[in-house]
Amino acid sequence: MLWRQDQGGHKRTIRSVAWSPDGRQLATGSFDATTGIWERDEDESGDYECVATLEGHENETKSIAWSKSGALLATCSRDKSVWIWEVEEDNDFECLSVLQEHTQDVKMVAWHPNEELLASASYDDTIKIWRDDDDDWYCSDTLVGHESTVWAIDFSPSGDELVSASADETLKIWKRFVPGNALGIVTQRRGEPIWKCVATVVGKHERCIYSVSWSKVNGLIASSGADNTIRLFEVKDATAPVGTEGRLTAEQQKALNEPGVLFEADKVADVRKAHGTSDINSVAWYPNADHGDWLASGGDDGSVRIWRLED
Amino acid sequence: MTTLINQNPVIYEASAGNSTREWREDDENEDAVDVIDAQEIFDLIRSISDPEHPLSLEQLNVTQRDHITVSDEDDTILVEFTPTIPHCSMATLIGLCIRVRLLRCLPSRFKVDIAVRKGTHQSEHAVNKQLNDKERVAAALENSHLLEVVNQCLATAT
Repeated sequence: MLWRQDQGGHKRTIRSVAWSPDGRQLATGSFDATTGIWERDEDESGDYECVATLEGHENETKSIAWSKSGALLATCSRDKSVWIWEVEEDNDFECLSVLQEHTQDVKMVAWHPNEELLASASYDDTIKIWRDDDDDWYCSDTLVGHESTVWAIDFSPSGDELVSASADETLKIWKRFVPGNALGIVTQRRGEPIWKCVATVVGKHERCIYSVSWSKVNGLIASSGADNTIRLFEVKDATAPVGTEGRLTAEQQKALNEPGVLFEADKVADVRKAHGTSDINSVAWYPNADHGDWLASGGDDGSVRIWRLED
Repeated sequence: MTTLINQNPVIYEASAGNSTREWREDDENEDAVDVIDAQEIFDLIRSISDPEHPLSLEQLNVTQRDHITVSDEDDTILVEFTPTIPHCSMATLIGLCIRVRLLRCLPSRFKVDIAVRKGTHQSEHAVNKQLNDKERVAAALENSHLLEVVNQCLATAT
């Protein structure tokens, strides 16, 4: 009963929810600027009880994400900031950092699947990568390329790639290149990896793309948006056959500064009108192999649908 | 007294009555499929009040039928409007009023884009981006003060 105000519920729209990795807690981000942490009452009713309310954002909280270990929580808001919280004992959450480098609303935050590395997507058309140096969080890269709001992001299973979905009706795939990488791609700062756009998926969605999910089980990318359609893509690295001795040709080097060409994204399936004539605001793959072929979607029609991928 | 952004707007003659539609032969045929067209959209928004003046959007020439594109088949509508002056700070509010009016009147299958007509506002890109971000629109409509202003502008819409 997340809307019961007497139990600490939210006063405005709940924009997003996220389970903690151990499944014990649920975090809710609301337009009322707070984040709620909920725990199931095991003894009696089985209702969820609000055990903490994180305050600090000036206005609408848009998205929340738990790090893989469950030790960190990230939140973002229309106030342009990203907050990183440390999860302490007794449901205590300490704010470690307030990151204010985006120039507009931050629409979404997503943690790397294995590392303590955070990505954020914004109305300012960019994606930022955040890392920590002895609990001091900083922006290590800004991914520029989308021509409108970036609504959603998700990492590949290995975390070496990131997919982004935008109001510019494209998906982009970004790849991390570490200093001294085999392809000879120059990194900027010393010791700092660089993220480059390696593929742009154009013309597959006809309106704003609101959501994208990269399956950690089957490697497929699902995307959805205002064109009422869910699309699935298979991604493969297209560099191998063309380069020589593991390095990029001059042409490929040049292309890296253009909309990416190093990866290919092939459409494998689509579901038109997956929620009738409604926008599809969110898609998410099942997180593990128990049901790796399940995909959930949520639409403006108020329904959640579960889809199973058939061969 | 607060200063008006545009103190002396040009006033245009508004069409009388509830609709400017010409009579068509099909109008009395109840079996005919009545598709939604630009005229119908224009009729829904032309009598919205300007936030600043006791005048309608039609009287200020902010909305015009020829600046509305409808595809009933594809469920898409594009409404372009013309702020009375290029630095009009009310442009976003006017666009929001148009959006809310259509949101309340049209079947939900329609995807509506609202935009300032090209070259008619100095912050064209920013205004258009905001008007077409449905999350910003949703958040704006949870703001009771703003919603009241929008409702006032829509009170005259017939």
